[in-house]
Amino acid sequence: MTGPLRDPAHPVSRRAIALWLIEALIGFVLLVGGATVAAWALGGWDVLPGGLTEHAWLLPVVVGVVMAPLVVVEPLWRYAVHRWELSGDVVYARSGWLSREWVFVPVSRIQTVDTAQGWFERALRLATVEIRTASHAGSSTIKGLDGAVAAHLAEELARRAEELRDDAT
Amino acid sequence: MSPRVLLIDPIRLLPSLMLPLAGVLVAGGFSPASFGWAAFGVAGSVIYATVRWATFTYRIVGDRLELTRAFVSRSVRTIPLERIRGVDVTAPPLHRLLRLAVLKIDTGAGGGEQEGVLDAVTMEQAEALRAVLLARRHPHPAGTTEGAGVTTGGTGGAATTGGAVSPAVPTPGPSGASGASGRILARVPRTWLRYGPLSGAYLLTPFALAAGAVGLIFQWGEEFGLTERTAKQALAWAWNHPYLLAAAAALLVLAMPFVGGVMYAVLHWDFTLRSRDGYLVAERGLLTRRAVSLESRRVRGYELVDGLIERWAGVVRLWALVTGLGDSETRGQLLPVTPRAFAARVAADAVGPFTVPLRPHPRQARRRRLFRAVAPWLALAVVALLLGWAVVALAALLVAGVGVPLGLDRYRSLGHAFDGARLSVRSGSVRRAQTVLEGRAVVGWTLRQTVFQRQAGLLTVVAGVGAGGGGYAAIDTGEAQGVGFAAEVTPDWLGPFLADPSPGGRSSHG
Repeated sequence: MTGPLRDPAHPVSRRAIALWLIEALIGFVLLVGGATVAAWALGGWDVLPGGLTEHAWLLPVVVGVVMAPLVVVEPLWRYAVHRWELSGDVVYARSGWLSREWVFVPVSRIQTVDTAQGWFERALRLATVEIRTASHAGSSTIKGLDGAVAAHLAEELARRAEELRDDAT
Repeated sequence: MSPRVLLIDPIRLLPSLMLPLAGVLVAGGFSPASFGWAAFGVAGSVIYATVRWATFTYRIVGDRLELTRAFVSRSVRTIPLERIRGVDVTAPPLHRLLRLAVLKIDTGAGGGEQEGVLDAVTMEQAEALRAVLLARRHPHPAGTTEGAGVTTGGTGGAATTGGAVSPAVPTPGPSGASGASGRILARVPRTWLRYGPLSGAYLLTPFALAAGAVGLIFQWGEEFGLTERTAKQALAWAWNHPYLLAAAAALLVLAMPFVGGVMYAVLHWDFTLRSRDGYLVAERGLLTRRAVSLESRRVRGYELVDGLIERWAGVVRLWALVTGLGDSETRGQLLPVTPRAFAARVAADAVGPFTVPLRPHPRQARRRRLFRAVAPWLALAVVALLLGWAVVALAALLVAGVGVPLGLDRYRSLGHAFDGARLSVRSGSVRRAQTVLEGRAVVGWTLRQTVFQRQAGLLTVVAGVGAGGGGYAAIDTGEAQGVGFAAEVTPDWLGPFLADPSPGGRSSHG
């Protein structure tokens, strides 16, 4: 949707593509592995009509063929969708790929700002900024930021939140 | 604590003592020695209660409440008065006989362990304490409760507070006499108790009671010489008399509305909602009388809930949305099942009016509601047919058929509106809920769009709130409509990010 909302100003770091690629690959391996196990289990189960049991080996193959292109597409697609912006003391972030999410969090309602780094994120010098309010539905997570950018953003948010603190909630 | 609690504690312990006592008596063949042991047991429980009573004290020191327990190990719980978000006064039947009450102090910390409980203070003290504990939250200079100063210090806190403040607070009768200060917002007539079974909440009580009885029989069975063999025999006997079984089942089902109604009536007897010193106080109950205080300043809105049958009867339930309220399902209740117009009036009076009609959502939303109510069951029917499970396929088809009116009704429920101060969203069919929220309570917006929603040009707008369920969604609004809604409620936040810079670029999409 480009309709009523404009894009947030900043893209995330390019290295986030690598991060999403790694995550997609792990998911892919787990999925194909699971399908293989399921097919093996189905082979010894003769409740289903004959045709299904004999060709159970097709299941992991089909899963693999369908999912493989997505492994490449998802990270690129996500890079196009994931954007963020801080202006007018409101954090505006967009995330997702097939399904999308836009989050608006005013700095005045922020309760905590965390920066977190997983293994792969550390290896890629990336970081995730988690912005929490009194409500889970008003909280935002910006993933795949450059480490330095994330630190700067978190610091800026914490400083502004201190100045604007509004205890309406 | 009031010494009268000494009369209650041993009686409360009695049921749990009964079996061992009976066991001792039976085993000892009713000899004098066994009677001696039984008397020892009773005396022990009385002593235990006495020691517990003597070692539990509470007092208000400066700006905090201290609960000291020094039975075996010494523990002091300190509750800063400014953290107290609400006070519940409960009076179970035994307590009421002795004019005592249990005071529960909600600190918003979550979890029962974190809260302060004063078991068995006198009614007068409970009222006075509630007034003091709650009045401290409002440092208004010309406050009615000038007794605040008196509460500081004092080792025998109970006596000091009770004596000093009770003149300011008229003594309420055990059945919630109307003489208590404060403005009465709603008093639910007893004839409205008949709406109770419509909510369906207590309809399962006959089954719960039956299950409880069976459990008790099993638990006590051995005492009475019931063995597994007799149980099996009883079961076999029951199987051989299927009519009897059917009759019992029918009886249980017939008892559903009746027992449910009685349960409901017992819990919601003489429901009264009043506003007093910046608090909403809801009082209810026939046997156990419970009074819950909610701080008006923390009430962010309310929720009107009705089920299918309730909607047909034109009745509705009312809850308050309060920030930092633990156990909000029972505590936040402002009204039991009452006629819609009455509930709306009380809500307007207690929290704030909302009269703007809800805006309907676009036609695509109806297609989506229908699809979601019908498609999964149709798919299941097709799969079942392919596998040759005819019965499953038929059942799934039936459910899919029911899904059509359900989906249409879900669409009819959808709506959202903003009247300049409060926003409202509504959704659901089997349990329809309309939420009315203060615009300033919103802490953030989340807009979601799945692939299917994108194709239909819809999105779901969730208002994040630090009260109640945390987030309230306007489901399947049009794209421009949804963004416009959020921008309308909080123009400063969304304004900079709208593609169309004219403020309130809202259009009634579809």
